[in-house]
Amino acid sequence: MVAVLNYFQLFGLEQDFELDSQALSSTFQTLQKAVHPDKFAHASSQEQLMAVQKSSTINDAYQTLKAPLSRAEYLLKVRGVDMPDEQATVGDMQFLMRQMELREMLEEISSADDIDAALFDASQTLDQEYLSLMKTLSAELAENSELSNQSASENLRKLKFYQKLNIELERLEEQLLD
Amino acid sequence: MALLQIAEPGQSTVPHEHKLAAGIDLGTTNSLVASVQSGMPKTLLDDAGRDILPSVVHYQESGTLVGDDAKALAVSEPENTIVSAKRLIGRSLADIKAKYPTLPYQFIGDENHPDINTRQGAVNPVQVSAEILKSLNARAEQALGGDLTGVVITVPAYFDDAQRQSTKDAAAIAGLNVLRLLNEPTAAAVAYGLDSMSETGEEGAKEGIVAVYDLGGGTFDISILRLNKGVFEVLATGGDSALGGDDFDLALVEHLVEQAGLARPLSNSLERQLVEQACVAKEALTNNDSVTVNLTLDDNSQWQTELSRATFDGLIKGLVSKTLRACRRALKDADIDAEQVLEVVMVGGSTRVPLVRAEVEKYFNKTPLTSIDPDKVVAIGAAIQADILAGNKPDNDMLLLDVTPLSLGLETMGGLVEKVIPRNTTIPVAKAQEFTTFKDGQTAMAIHVLQGERELVDDCRSLARFELRGIPAMTAGAAHIRVTFKVDADGLLAVTAMEKSTGVEASIEVKPSFGLQEDDIANMIKASMSNAKEDIVARMLKEQQVEAARVLESVQAALAADGNLLNDQERQQVDETLKNLLATSQSDDTDAIEAAIEVVNQATATFAERRMDASIKVALSGQSVDQI
Repeated sequence: MVAVLNYFQLFGLEQDFELDSQALSSTFQTLQKAVHPDKFAHASSQEQLMAVQKSSTINDAYQTLKAPLSRAEYLLKVRGVDMPDEQATVGDMQFLMRQMELREMLEEISSADDIDAALFDASQTLDQEYLSLMKTLSAELAENSELSNQSASENLRKLKFYQKLNIELERLEEQLLD
Repeated sequence: MALLQIAEPGQSTVPHEHKLAAGIDLGTTNSLVASVQSGMPKTLLDDAGRDILPSVVHYQESGTLVGDDAKALAVSEPENTIVSAKRLIGRSLADIKAKYPTLPYQFIGDENHPDINTRQGAVNPVQVSAEILKSLNARAEQALGGDLTGVVITVPAYFDDAQRQSTKDAAAIAGLNVLRLLNEPTAAAVAYGLDSMSETGEEGAKEGIVAVYDLGGGTFDISILRLNKGVFEVLATGGDSALGGDDFDLALVEHLVEQAGLARPLSNSLERQLVEQACVAKEALTNNDSVTVNLTLDDNSQWQTELSRATFDGLIKGLVSKTLRACRRALKDADIDAEQVLEVVMVGGSTRVPLVRAEVEKYFNKTPLTSIDPDKVVAIGAAIQADILAGNKPDNDMLLLDVTPLSLGLETMGGLVEKVIPRNTTIPVAKAQEFTTFKDGQTAMAIHVLQGERELVDDCRSLARFELRGIPAMTAGAAHIRVTFKVDADGLLAVTAMEKSTGVEASIEVKPSFGLQEDDIANMIKASMSNAKEDIVARMLKEQQVEAARVLESVQAALAADGNLLNDQERQQVDETLKNLLATSQSDDTDAIEAAIEVVNQATATFAERRMDASIKVALSGQSVDQI
């Protein structure tokens, strides 16, 4: 039997959350130089098919490892930590209250006197809270105990809330500035 | 030894034989073909020494004219002279009528597959493109002295799936082997050989960010690339597949119609004249501050007006701003600030317009690069890529990594779109998502594939619909339907679906919403061949024989390099299938050759995978040695 390499192994990386993004990107390019379909344009159709498959896998691995949230999620999966269902409710009331406040903050931007400043402030607030939560997540993933991984999985869910708020903010920005 | 038997005289190909390949820029307004000759990429000329072929096709009683000869008849015979067909391919009739209400053509056929009625009968825009490709192919074969192994055809980066597929269909009708569909801005980046700047740039600078601003006759693209040691990695792309110099002309036409106090409807001939005069005036305003426009009206009277550049700038200002908004979004998607952009490359004839240059320069705060003719740069880049893909430069290190321009998704409950592959994902890519049934006992599921950024189905572009049947009756939510999206290196999408929980694979039937069906293409190929007095049977046989030779050559080369990856028994099996293919390929049984190729493919699947894994290992270990 052959074991399928996980994305960290495929890129020859330690299974850690913190990684050198320069090295990741350079490994990505090296791997693509070996398997990209363009390198097999005159090979047999079997090899062309294989090249498309391998190249797709490497692209997917790169996308997954490049972005911190998907990397954290993948790492937890590799460690066998159950991720709570997307639909399941977050139990942390304080966090939920904060989310509602932040949502209100976004809703009020369009009626602000100085829209530019309001957009900027909102983006600062979101970034700050996101980064502080990210720091906690990173430490928990580095600890890699059963308890810390559980907590990391909770924090990852919270970070996804911030990601959604950020997307909303971007949409708002595009709307208001156009 | 088996290998010796296989390589019979006359069958083996010389290892480093130069293969003929060309790059084709199939433009809205103009098309070009280029090829690498003695190491230099050059555009190829026609008998009259011209490299630009106007993308115009004129349908005569018998036969067709392409290029300048066709363009000469555009005003006198607008209904039978198709210009800018690229704007029509892969589009619905409603779409065309909304965007270009004054086209002189008589559209027939159904809503999603409109044809143009010419005096030769119904002509599909894909066939018009095929005529242009045929003309360029003939030119290339004459200039290079032989049949082309394959071509690279460029498409706007922002082309959607239907438009890309239609372009490939046009190539099939023209009898061309497409090595790759290449995005126009990426081709331009290659032509500029911008990767070399990492070596000539400041010390320690290992990579650079480049923006390619490509404003053609009918389309606008912006691509943000990161260049690093021969790798051209597209970080983000954006644009508008219906915004170009033609729209500048149309804005000017509306202005002229108003100034001259003309009331629509006008004759087709006057509409064409207006467009042509607008285009001439636009070009003249590149080097002059004002220009005189002359028109012959429908009552044969002459009308004249003076047009200043300032007036023209005012008319197109909104369109130019639209391109800059797309630039902003692409930069954001790439997570790059405008200041981080090292170079801005200008591509497409419409970047000659002074206002465009000025605004782009202001936005990026740097002088854009215009050293290669913006009309030729795309064809030259395509020629370089074609030369490499044909296998003429085995040691070349260049690699192009492109992205999907638009998100791909599925229709879910309530008319919403669930994204499966987000825009700006590096291709090729495969992603699977699971869905379930929403009714008890549901045995079929309609799958609607969409492309676009909006959340509502109605705001996105419908690519295809198919139905997954034979789902075992279960309670709602119990079935696991796995839908897989695959985008290949040409940016073309394939979708498959299966029911997982019971292991039952159900049948699927894909019906493209726009563009041509398989049958249509086959018929058009047949039709195009009867014109060329070619025999379709002979052509198909030849195609299979060429493919057989290619398979034999590539598998033998692979065995010679990595034969050690197979044990004796496996090797013997592969050799048997090769022997069989060699024998069969000399017969004139097309189907048997195809079958024999398939047998080789099956027999070498494991070998191909082992080879690929081995090369990944070598690449990784080579890199870690580099880093030490």
